[in-house]
Amino acid sequence: HWTCPGLPSPPRPICDLRVLNHFIQEARDAEVAMKSCRDGCGLTELVSVPQTTVNFDDWERKNATEQAQEVQTGLWLLHQALGLLQASMTDVDLNNHIDNSIRNLLSINAVLRSLNIQEYTPPTSAVGLEGTWKVSSVAEVLQVHVNFLRGKVRLLLVGAEACQQDVS
Amino acid sequence: MPVVSPHPDQWTYWESCFTLTRRTPPPSPPSASMLLAAEPENPKCFAEGRKAFTCFWEEDEERAGPVEQYSFTYAYQNENGSRCPLTVAPAAGGKKLFVCHLDRIQMFVQLDIQVHRESVMIHNRSLLVELVFLLDPPENVTVSSTGHQGQLNVSWVPPPLKYMDDSMIYEVMYAKEGDPAGQVEVARACSELILRGLQAATRYRVEVRVRLDGITYSGYWSAWSDPVWMETLPADLDPLIVSLTFIITFILFLLCLIVLLSHHRFFIKKVWPTIPVPDSKFQGLFTVYGGDLQEWLRQTSGGLWVTSALLYSEERPSPVEVLSELNLCRSLASPPLPPKACNASTQRDERELSNGSDSAQTDEWRATQQQHWLMERLRETRPGMGSSLLESQDTYVTLSTNNHSEEDHVDDTLEEALPLEMHVASRKTPLSEFHSDLGSGQQSSGSGRLSSQSSFEYPSQGWTPKGPGYTYMAVADSGVSMDYSPMSRVDDLGKVALYANEYKNEIPPHRRPFLTRQYHVHDDG
Repeated sequence: HWTCPGLPSPPRPICDLRVLNHFIQEARDAEVAMKSCRDGCGLTELVSVPQTTVNFDDWERKNATEQAQEVQTGLWLLHQALGLLQASMTDVDLNNHIDNSIRNLLSINAVLRSLNIQEYTPPTSAVGLEGTWKVSSVAEVLQVHVNFLRGKVRLLLVGAEACQQDVS
Repeated sequence: MPVVSPHPDQWTYWESCFTLTRRTPPPSPPSASMLLAAEPENPKCFAEGRKAFTCFWEEDEERAGPVEQYSFTYAYQNENGSRCPLTVAPAAGGKKLFVCHLDRIQMFVQLDIQVHRESVMIHNRSLLVELVFLLDPPENVTVSSTGHQGQLNVSWVPPPLKYMDDSMIYEVMYAKEGDPAGQVEVARACSELILRGLQAATRYRVEVRVRLDGITYSGYWSAWSDPVWMETLPADLDPLIVSLTFIITFILFLLCLIVLLSHHRFFIKKVWPTIPVPDSKFQGLFTVYGGDLQEWLRQTSGGLWVTSALLYSEERPSPVEVLSELNLCRSLASPPLPPKACNASTQRDERELSNGSDSAQTDEWRATQQQHWLMERLRETRPGMGSSLLESQDTYVTLSTNNHSEEDHVDDTLEEALPLEMHVASRKTPLSEFHSDLGSGQQSSGSGRLSSQSSFEYPSQGWTPKGPGYTYMAVADSGVSMDYSPMSRVDDLGKVALYANEYKNEIPPHRRPFLTRQYHVHDDG
């Protein structure tokens, strides 16, 4: 045992799912707000978003790294899509929701880092990337955002090894 | 008949040569009835676990066609559609259930469902599978005592669903025995709950149900678990209450004791009242004579009647002063009148007699004269006493003798008892006359003598009252106390005849002058 003064201590794992629940709630609020948008809330081009489909058997057949990469890729794709919405949205209320959602995505990345999940940097281009969908509306983007957080992101946090050690 | 099984793992399948047929068990009656009531859309769909997914709808048996007429198709977002084989199950009330069961499901993606009957869409629905969970009720519900009064500990085993434990909420319903309603407690993401505020020594029924919280996963409330009965602990006596009760009781006892002690005399008098003892009134009656009243009366001096407040409690004995006997100028017993009065009365008498007036008029005049003289004598001889007599006492008595029978039989006055008339003056009236018969019966044999206080001492055996019409005078040792009833007052002074009362006592006639002298002495004294 030796100590090295000045070295930062590893971040404490954030295993409390209430944090993610909060992000999920705000994503739902954005989706609800989108339904009331009439003007200035459309996409001018197709946007790639992560697939949200979860089959538990298929998910459990993947290892932790694959799961982590799939989640981090999806978070990156969502960040890109929300960025495009932010640029094209003129509705102020909806823009606020999108800004909030983008901040939440960055927070989720921080949570993943706290769980010692290896950080994965997807390719700069989503073209040919597996596990993606093409959507053409803001509503679809926000729906994918909600489902991705509730599904794969949550499954990754629930199954994180760092959190399993705290429970045991 | 399809096999009905509560758990999807127990469902059976078979495969025919030409078609893939699944024996899909229909939804359990509780699930079907619950969804029929809870879900307004058709088809009714629910996920029982991570894999099983069931959809069904209900039609009247009369209007429903064969199952071949119907088609159930579903498609996940961004995927091609698929067809679900349907099965038919009877339902209550003449209904039919058309059931679709899927054993591979995908979550967190939109599912589009369409039902057609002979190419006509009859039902259409889009849903997310993770949001229509219908779980089995919790198992192994256990109710136990916590060791504290009014509490019960309820525990259960949550449905075995991975990844969903922290998304489950529970409702614990508890009710007293005989109470159809009850109370509900909510528990989140746990498998144990302590019920508080329960009645002591009461039997409770406990049931539990579960559903997903709706954030990540959602669905319908499960059916209630089988009821579990448990009785709470009996009430214990709170030591604080017991000690306070004891202290308060002790304080109240002390207060009562203090009150009793401070007023013990009052309570003693109330509980044991003093029995009056006549010793004080009859001195020596018990101590000397042993309660023999006759002996006591015999031995007491002069045979005086005792009158006291016991008999005449409202009146003090008034001292009676004998001022004179009647017939002031003529009778030897009469006190010598003042010259004026005597002369006046004598002259008057003579006039009266000479005129031959009847005795009544003479008597009346004589009485008036005597009254006046008596009043004057009272004032002269005893100015203080007389005035006090007049002022302080309500009445005073003058005694005078009258020789009614002077002409007739003077000598008989000794033998006969002549009533002595008394003049009694009261405050209200200058003179009130009272007739009093001093009750000298012929049998009186006792000696009566006049004391210096002008009190009569009657023989102990002696006179007896003559009748109710007469008043009686009782004399005490120290004075004369009268018990008299006024027969006439105020203005009847002249109407009253004066009597001379010669007692049949041992006073011989020749002693009259002695008596007179006594009177005289008394008067002058």
